[in-house]
Amino acid sequence: MEVLAAADDLRRRTLVDMTQPLERLIYLASTRDYNTGLYYHHGLALRFSEEAACEALADCHREAFDELVSASLEELVHELEAYLQSTRVASGDFIVAWKGLEPYRVAVPVGVDSLSSELVFSNLKVALAILEARLIGRM
Amino acid sequence: MIGLLLYLLVGAGLLVFLWLLARRKGAPVEGCGRQFVEARQALRTLQLGLLPENLIERIFDREDFRYVMAASPANIREFFLRERKRISLMWVRRVRCEIRNLMQFHLGYSRLHAKLSLLAEIRLALDFGLLLLACRALRILLYMRGPYGAGAVVGVLTAAAGRVCAASEKSLAFLNPPALESFRRDSAGDGATI
Repeated sequence: MEVLAAADDLRRRTLVDMTQPLERLIYLASTRDYNTGLYYHHGLALRFSEEAACEALADCHREAFDELVSASLEELVHELEAYLQSTRVASGDFIVAWKGLEPYRVAVPVGVDSLSSELVFSNLKVALAILEARLIGRM
Repeated sequence: MIGLLLYLLVGAGLLVFLWLLARRKGAPVEGCGRQFVEARQALRTLQLGLLPENLIERIFDREDFRYVMAASPANIREFFLRERKRISLMWVRRVRCEIRNLMQFHLGYSRLHAKLSLLAEIRLALDFGLLLLACRALRILLYMRGPYGAGAVVGVLTAAAGRVCAASEKSLAFLNPPALESFRRDSAGDGATI
């Protein structure tokens, strides 16, 4: 029950402005400790327990990932463009970093099937190529 | 003389047949828990990871194809088709692997626990055969025509896989956590309460 309340709180306060699942996925992955795999959010842990906050973050992370799996390629291109604008990084730098580092690979929740994650990675690579071609076309 | 030789040959053949029958081992009952857990895992992977409708729709979605073909340069179109082909082949490989795991389980162990009728067993065997054949056909089609030239076979494969999963679910149902309600109902007659 506490986990549900914490997830609801997280959606209403922190995630409310992140309309795109890609943005939420990257943000929620960043709240996860690389060494332990546990999620931590200071404000949420203060209002609820640390365990409930961790579970709530994990739930929302999986939810964002599921939305990305279900997204069409067209939607992914829009999401990627919106995310690029939200980062305020130069588009050329963003494309180079995303193509080289593939940061989305470490943003996958634990326990998802490898085929789903491969599909998302593949779609993101194609979406990135489409976005790059469009950005070059606009120059 | 020839008649005697024929009788001797038939007799020897029967002896060999009896010897083979005597050598045939039944599935070992002891230590088969691991096989049940592995079969359960294969079933879960199929039901939750490989056969959900939305995942299959996404992999073979024609809207993505139309979108890329309409608005992208040739190199991106090729890249997209290559990627989808890779993912769809990966999907078929994984489905085939999990189906084979389930088939091994059914061949060796499920008859010990599931009360399957002869008709159900024949139907299951046909489904397994159809599935492995469909996997092979789909792989060839994917290599030859790409991910958008095999829609009908994908449909056949997912339907047969669904039937096999349903039959396996029955065989593995005893591994599910017992329903508290049935305990409650069963214990009510003895005056015990849960």
